[in-house]
Amino acid sequence: MNQPLLEVENLRFRFRGQEQDVVQDVSFRLGRNETLCIVGESGCGKSVTALALMGLLPQDSVQFGAGRIRFDGETFAPGDHDRIAKMRGDRMAMIFQEPMTSLNPAFRIGDQIAEAVERHRNCGHAAARARALEMLGKVGIPAPEQRFDAYPHQLSGGMRQRVMIAMALANDPELLIADEPTTALDVTVQAQILELIAELQAETGMGTIMITHDLGVVAEIATNVAVMYAGQVVEYGSARSIFENPQHPYTIGLMASVPSLTGPRRRLSTVPGVVPAIGQMPEGCRFSSRCPFAAPVCAARPDLAEQDPGHRVACHFAPLEQTLERSA
Amino acid sequence: MTDLILKADGLKKHFQVGGGFMAETKTVRAVDGVSIEVRRGETFAIVGESGCGKSTLARLLMRLLEPTEGAIEFDGRDIAGIRGRDLRELRRDMQFVFQDPFSSLNPRMSVGKLVGEPIETHRPELSRTQRRQEVARLLRTVGLRPEHADRYPHEFSGGQRQRIGIARALASNPRLVIGDEPVSALDVSVQAQVVNLLHDLKSKLDMTLVIIAHDLAVIRHMSDRVAVMYLGQVVESGPTDEIFAAPRHPYTLALLSAIPEPVHGRERTRIALSGETPSPASPPSGCRFHTRCPFAREDCATRVPELRVAANETRVACHYWEEIAATRPKAGLTPAAARSEGAQRRFALYEAATLRQTDRPETASNAGATT
Repeated sequence: MNQPLLEVENLRFRFRGQEQDVVQDVSFRLGRNETLCIVGESGCGKSVTALALMGLLPQDSVQFGAGRIRFDGETFAPGDHDRIAKMRGDRMAMIFQEPMTSLNPAFRIGDQIAEAVERHRNCGHAAARARALEMLGKVGIPAPEQRFDAYPHQLSGGMRQRVMIAMALANDPELLIADEPTTALDVTVQAQILELIAELQAETGMGTIMITHDLGVVAEIATNVAVMYAGQVVEYGSARSIFENPQHPYTIGLMASVPSLTGPRRRLSTVPGVVPAIGQMPEGCRFSSRCPFAAPVCAARPDLAEQDPGHRVACHFAPLEQTLERSA
Repeated sequence: MTDLILKADGLKKHFQVGGGFMAETKTVRAVDGVSIEVRRGETFAIVGESGCGKSTLARLLMRLLEPTEGAIEFDGRDIAGIRGRDLRELRRDMQFVFQDPFSSLNPRMSVGKLVGEPIETHRPELSRTQRRQEVARLLRTVGLRPEHADRYPHEFSGGQRQRIGIARALASNPRLVIGDEPVSALDVSVQAQVVNLLHDLKSKLDMTLVIIAHDLAVIRHMSDRVAVMYLGQVVESGPTDEIFAAPRHPYTLALLSAIPEPVHGRERTRIALSGETPSPASPPSGCRFHTRCPFAREDCATRVPELRVAANETRVACHYWEEIAATRPKAGLTPAAARSEGAQRRFALYEAATLRQTDRPETASNAGATT
């Protein structure tokens, strides 16, 4: 087995003043050329996990627990901001959901990309400009020479997201974290952007973490999937095993809530209730307050235990059929 | 008696933008010649991507905007130019549910006031006590509890706020409700709750529903008939099942093939569209889709296609749909073995468990508080 690009072990943190962890014991690994999808609904902790990895959470308001990150053979603590800051934008890069608020409206897009190149590479302005032009062409922006001087507001949403990707990939990062990069875009444009990311990944061999709430996007691009609920990974496995053999009640409920494009139309399943606020999370399994199978045993926190090779589930009831049969 | 409740004929809405110092005035053709017919009791959907004019069309139908040209008939009566008392009467029969449950409710008003306000306006004959009873009834109808009337919008989650918005819309006993992206701001599991609620209310209250959305899976689930819009015009319309099984217009084909489906390992031929929707301020000549259409021919740039009958009440605005269909025998989404047996079995177990849970009396009374 070759060494994974990124290994996260027991990432755990809370914001100062809060009584419960925002993210609790999140672990996963990502190989080169692989895509890990972190999926979950709002408030599940998927975006803060990404921000923590990138060292982008405000340092003085976050308390990290134990846990470690191994990136390309180097091990460091999640709160090691100096170490992460050196790699950010260079060896690991991030793109966000809303490209308009992540680009500086007062600067030309070409200069913004060139700045990222100059910051990390020891090169002159001319070389940085040449690289920026190359990247604009690579992400499929027509007439890069003219677009170089455009301001963000002169571009459409899809084009802005392409600029963000050009900026993120200008320094050939080994790791790309994409936080809902296509959520604000139309489906036909989303298809273009997902294809672009896949092409660039095949070309550079980078590892990608894609954060999304859209199970369709997950099915399309994921190698592995981590399903998060309320700051915990509740199910983790290959995309195939997650879709063909979902085990955790939350994963099942989430999948059954999505209206289908084919087949007979039937009443949608729902996950009753809403995600509890931090501070009001149930002890033990955090999904127990909404779970249709919940039982007294759920007051103890279930381990993320291996059910099938590579497929881990944090539920006392897994595997579901056998457990239900036994208790019936 | 006609079975149409709402009918639009050649509807246009043009906005003038710009025109500042030395700047040229531009005309944005947001809605440019749309004709639709909504039948009594059905769910009619309008679908399209951003900038296609679907929200403007909804506001025109609702008479929140005045059309530049064209006629709108509600229940056989022309409503394109009505004002004053007539308009107020129309608002009673036709209500709106907005997309964003966070910005469409006044944060300073209690839920009781928010829902009571439309009752006060449209049913002034009710006494204060009757009104309070009516608010309680409406809250129960949408799955909230009567006690919630004393709370304020910020105390509720997105899904609950959308329920409040729906209760407000139902307060005047409307015959038609128009929802502009009513579920797109919600998480999937909550979205499913609201989709089910709208479905139940529609059959219980004998309403007609017009849904505007960009999510095709939601559209397919909810609607009986659908109109697909592109750049201010309807490019294809007809029964939902027919359009999803056999899309004819190249834009519908591309739109359907672009949706990522939550099924692992499905191979599909995607019809890639290059570029993005052109600006409605300067729409392309001829067929407006020709700049992005993979099947476009020379004369598509000059000849404007009419919306013509294709089959089974389906209408298509494309010169060459017959030829395109002939080269693509299976254009629709194939109902392949969508989900594995394992997944299906789990879904069934989950469904059964949720139903058992809601049947239990103590949790059922709580349902309003948590859902």
